[in-house]
Order: sequence, then C-alpha cells, then structure tokens
Amino acid sequence: MNSQLLSSADGSIDKPAALETSNLTFCWDRLQPTLRFPDLNLPRGEHLFLYGPSGTGKSTLLSLLAGMLSPASGVVKLLGTEFHTSGAGKRDRFRADHIGVIFQQFNLVPYLTAEANVTLPCKLSSRRQSATGESPTVAAQRLLSALAIPQSHWQRKVTQLSIGQQQRIAAARALIGAPEIILADEPTSALDSDNRDRFINLLLGLAGERNTSVVFVSHDRSLARCFHHQIELGQVSA
Amino acid sequence: MKFRLALSLATASLWYRRKVLALVCLTLTLSVTLLLGVQYLRTEVKQSFTSTISDTDLIIGARSGQLNLLLYTVFHMGDATNNIRWSTFQALEKDARIDWLIPISLGDSYKGFRVVATDKAFKEYFRYGQGQPLKLAGGQWFDGIFDVVLGAGVARTLNHHLNDDVILSHGGGRTSFSNHKDTPFKVTGILEATGTPVDQAVYISLQGMEAIHVGWESGVAIPGRTLTPERAQARDLTPSAITAVFAGLDRKILTFRVQRDINQYAEEPLSAILPGVALSELWRLMSQFERALLGITGFVVVTSLIGLIAVLLTLQAQRAHEIAILRATGASPGLIASLYVIECLGLAVVACLTALVLSSLAISILGPWLLTNYGIQIQLRPLNLDEWVLLASVPLAALLVAFVPALSAWQKSRSQGFGSPEEL
Repeated sequence: MNSQLLSSADGSIDKPAALETSNLTFCWDRLQPTLRFPDLNLPRGEHLFLYGPSGTGKSTLLSLLAGMLSPASGVVKLLGTEFHTSGAGKRDRFRADHIGVIFQQFNLVPYLTAEANVTLPCKLSSRRQSATGESPTVAAQRLLSALAIPQSHWQRKVTQLSIGQQQRIAAARALIGAPEIILADEPTSALDSDNRDRFINLLLGLAGERNTSVVFVSHDRSLARCFHHQIELGQVSA
Repeated sequence: MKFRLALSLATASLWYRRKVLALVCLTLTLSVTLLLGVQYLRTEVKQSFTSTISDTDLIIGARSGQLNLLLYTVFHMGDATNNIRWSTFQALEKDARIDWLIPISLGDSYKGFRVVATDKAFKEYFRYGQGQPLKLAGGQWFDGIFDVVLGAGVARTLNHHLNDDVILSHGGGRTSFSNHKDTPFKVTGILEATGTPVDQAVYISLQGMEAIHVGWESGVAIPGRTLTPERAQARDLTPSAITAVFAGLDRKILTFRVQRDINQYAEEPLSAILPGVALSELWRLMSQFERALLGITGFVVVTSLIGLIAVLLTLQAQRAHEIAILRATGASPGLIASLYVIECLGLAVVACLTALVLSSLAISILGPWLLTNYGIQIQLRPLNLDEWVLLASVPLAALLVAFVPALSAWQKSRSQGFGSPEEL
C-alpha cells in the first residue's frame, strides 16, 4: 500500500500529469547520506498524501518539487515541463505562476493584512492575477468567506488571528488564481483535530473545484483517507 | 508591477518595524542635521566674516604685515606696532585720489572692550556687509570731547543706557588698575547690532582720546597734571599721532597705485593693505579648521549609516519566515534584495527630510537669539548647490551601504529551501 501511485487507478492515460519525478536524489552535503525519493506521477486534479517520519526528507522533496532546490540527480517534470534543468529565475517564475504553497506555521507575512496576504501571488504573477477572472481583492474575499474567515478579520494584521485562521488564510493564498499544484508541508500539525479535519475538507474541496492537485505532507497517517493517492517516504532512502 | 510590489512590501515592512527603526532613523536624522548645520554655519560664518568691513579700499597703518594690520584695526585683536604721525594723516587728506579717510586711534579699553577714537567720518563712511552703514539704535553720534558711543554688544553686555557715565581704562585688559577716573564719559549713542567687531567696541572722539591722556605721558597719571573736563574744553586737543586710517578712493582702479605710493611714503614707514585680500588670507588660515569640522561631521553620518546597516542585518534573522513565504510564493532573490535597498534608501530619505525640517526650524528659532546674544547673523535661506549635493550624498551613501544586507539576503534566499531555514 505504500506506493500505489503509478498511473491513475482507472488507467486513463490521456489525463495530463501535474507532476512526475523519476530517480530523484538529493544531498545536503557530503557528510550526510544521499536522500533517494520514490518516483511520483500525479495526474491533474488528483491529490497525493506523502507520509513519513521526520528526517525522511519530506520538506526536501517539497523543495525539489517547488524548484527551490536542485536535485543531485533525477528528473522533475511539472505540467509536462522539465523543471530541474531550468534556470533559477525561470523556476521562480514557474512557481509564482503554477504553484501554491502552505507551510507548517508562520505562513503569513506579518506586516500585511489577511487580504493582502491572500492577494500576494497575484502581485507576483500576472497569470494568476488574470486567472482570478475578477479583481484579486474580490477573489480573495470570496476565498476568505469560503474558508470561514469572518469579514471583520480581513483587514486585520494577521498576527492577531488564531493559528487555525492563519492556516486557512494560507490556504486561500495557495488557492487564489487557481494554480495547477499546491504543495502543503504539514499544514495541520499545529491544529486540533476539529480544525484539522475542517481545514483538509475545505482545502481539498476548493482545490477540486479548481482542478488543482494537492501534494500534502504529514506525519499523521490518519489523514491519508482523504486523498486519492498516498506514498510513504523513508523506506526508499538509502 | 514587481517594483510596485517591492515598494509596497518595503513600506509595510518599515511601518511594521517602526519602533526599532525609528531609533536608527533618529540617529541618522540627528547626524544629517549636524552635517547640514555645520555646512550652513560654515558658509554663513564665512559670509559674515568677509563682510566685517566693506567699501573700504585701503587700511593704512605703521609698517607691518597685512594680517597684523587687519587684526588690530578691524578685529581689535593684538596691538599696533607703531603710530602714524598726524602730519601724515594731513598729507593723505590732501591727496586728490582719496575720497574719504577715517582716522582711528587705539590703545585704551573699557571693561575689556576696545576704545576706538575716531571722528564723524566713521559714522559717515564706515560700511559693513553689503555696504550697510552704521545705524544708531538710540541717541546720536558723539559731538563733545567726553561723549562716547557704545557698540551694541558692549551696551547689552554691560547693560548701559543713554546718559550713563563711563570711566575708560588705560591700556587693554578687562581689569585695569589705571583708570581715567578724572575724565568720565557720557553715553550719547548706542549702535545697532551689526554682527561684526563694531559691536564689541566703544567710540570716542580723537580729542577725547587726547584729553584723557594729558598728564599720562609717563604711562601713569601724574597728580595735578591731568585735565579736568572744564580745562579740556579750553585746550587744543589735536592729536599728534593716530594708529591707523581707513581710506576710500574716488576711483577704485587707482587702488594699487595709491597703495604703492603709500607703501613708499618717504616721511615715515607705512603699510597700506586691501582689506578684501587680507580677509581672504585670514579666512584661508581658518578654513583648515572648518574643513576639519565638516570632515568630522561626515564621519558621524557614516557611523550612523553603519549603525543602520547593523540593525538591518540584525533584523534579517527575524525576517527569515517572511522571506521564506515570499520566496515560496515565487518572489525572486532579486526582489528580496531590493526590499533591503528600498528600505535603507527610504530610511535615509526620511532622515534627510526630517533633518531639513529640523535644521530650518532650529535656524529660524535660534537665528534672532544668536544675533542679539552673540552678534552672529544667521538667516534662513534656500540651500545652495553645495548643500544640496551634501544632502543628496546621504541617500546615495545609504544606497551604497544597502548592498551589504541586500547581497546577504540575496545570497541567503538563493539557497532558501521550502519553508523556514530551521525547519529543513
């Protein structure tokens, strides 16, 4: 059950892949062991659960997928583009255009309001700005309402909000402008179980509406049931 | 679009960290204010220095160096090397090329202020600044032998009013043991403040100077031989010698010829100097000091800029999370670096503008007070080119030093992983 993620279960080959990797390895420095990652192949609009204890390189894998680190060897293909061979500037632009991110915590720029945090990707990417269809502010407000952030909080400094609210605002930021891929790095680890379930349901629901693939990393295996695919890290690492 | 984003992020970030940054900004503001103030004072002092005497074409005294002659006649510093005979003065009066002459006799003092014996020509022809004449704040110019006119600084310091009695002292110095106590003077006039050494002297007639020295030929008063005021009126008090002469010529073009003629005067050794030339020579001596002062102030600004960079670098540690978010959202390392440049530049511009407001406020408040209390004339005026350049060099320097935190941020964010650094 660890690695049931080869093609889609129903074998629909024509569904384009959101991300594909093969033979991916990474090494922080010579003293540390090389990290080897299982091959991934995630079709557009489907969700992947990455599970693994700490130290298995979950965050490193996300860094490689986000193009913030370059692999020692192997191939990363996002939306059909060979990502790892592009220059750093191109990867930054690709990330701005096609990837939404959610961190474990400290997700928000502390000096911006909730709304300004959500519209941030639209300011970095004209593609995502035009994908909102309306003004980014309206899109942000729509997402904030959908994620149950009270209107009175939209103009507040994010540091005044609860952790649960902050994580949902981060989800809104990842979702705005309908990127093809969302990378989430243990976004629920600081939440209680009620908040956690609510967060995952909202995130996956809204992502589904936008045909966005979510790659969700967690050490909490019980969350796996919500995802189309799951994969366990650590077993493959040398 | 990216620039506008960087600008709005930098502004929001500056505002968010305003409590810490206000302090470094204040340091920078104060040092820029100091820099502006010193530069401003430099030009103003030079201005007021070179305007201590105006329209006088030649200063004539006994043979000596031009600085010495300038110092004792105009600035009342030091002493004359010798006197000029009265007959020489009379010969100068006959010179057709000379328009006017102001005879000056120095040597006595009043409570530390120089006594200048002269005549009506001083009030009439002496000019300072841009050819401004002397004005009386009260009373009139001396007429009688025992009348005295006080400079504005003297009247203010010693709190003298019209018709006060004044006892002059023999020789210089603040406390003199030999006073001309038999011959008191009466204050008939007080001059308006000029911001020049004129304010720091008292003016009597040449006859008055002569009268108080009758019986003092040996250097001290010989009892019974000094004059009483009544007996003075009856005597011929034409001086036998004076200290120096200010001269104005009819035609400025003849200045050098007259100067040469006077320098070659056969009857006695004389020196004639051009006050403008002597003043600029004197200023050259002093400008070393004011340049050093400006240099020190420049270093103060550099120090505060280094302080600013130190704070920005310290804040960088705090900003790891927000940089991680921006990077993960797709911001390039260049955008992150530009945040630091904009913030540093913004702080410097704010500091410069505040310094500009602060120094104009200080000058407009302190200006009148300085004039009345110290005789220094400082007025608010638009900045000159030099000062604009100096002011603009502060944001430019800030831009330059901003590359220290910017480069460090650029480098860090290039190797930035997903999430905050410590989580990896």
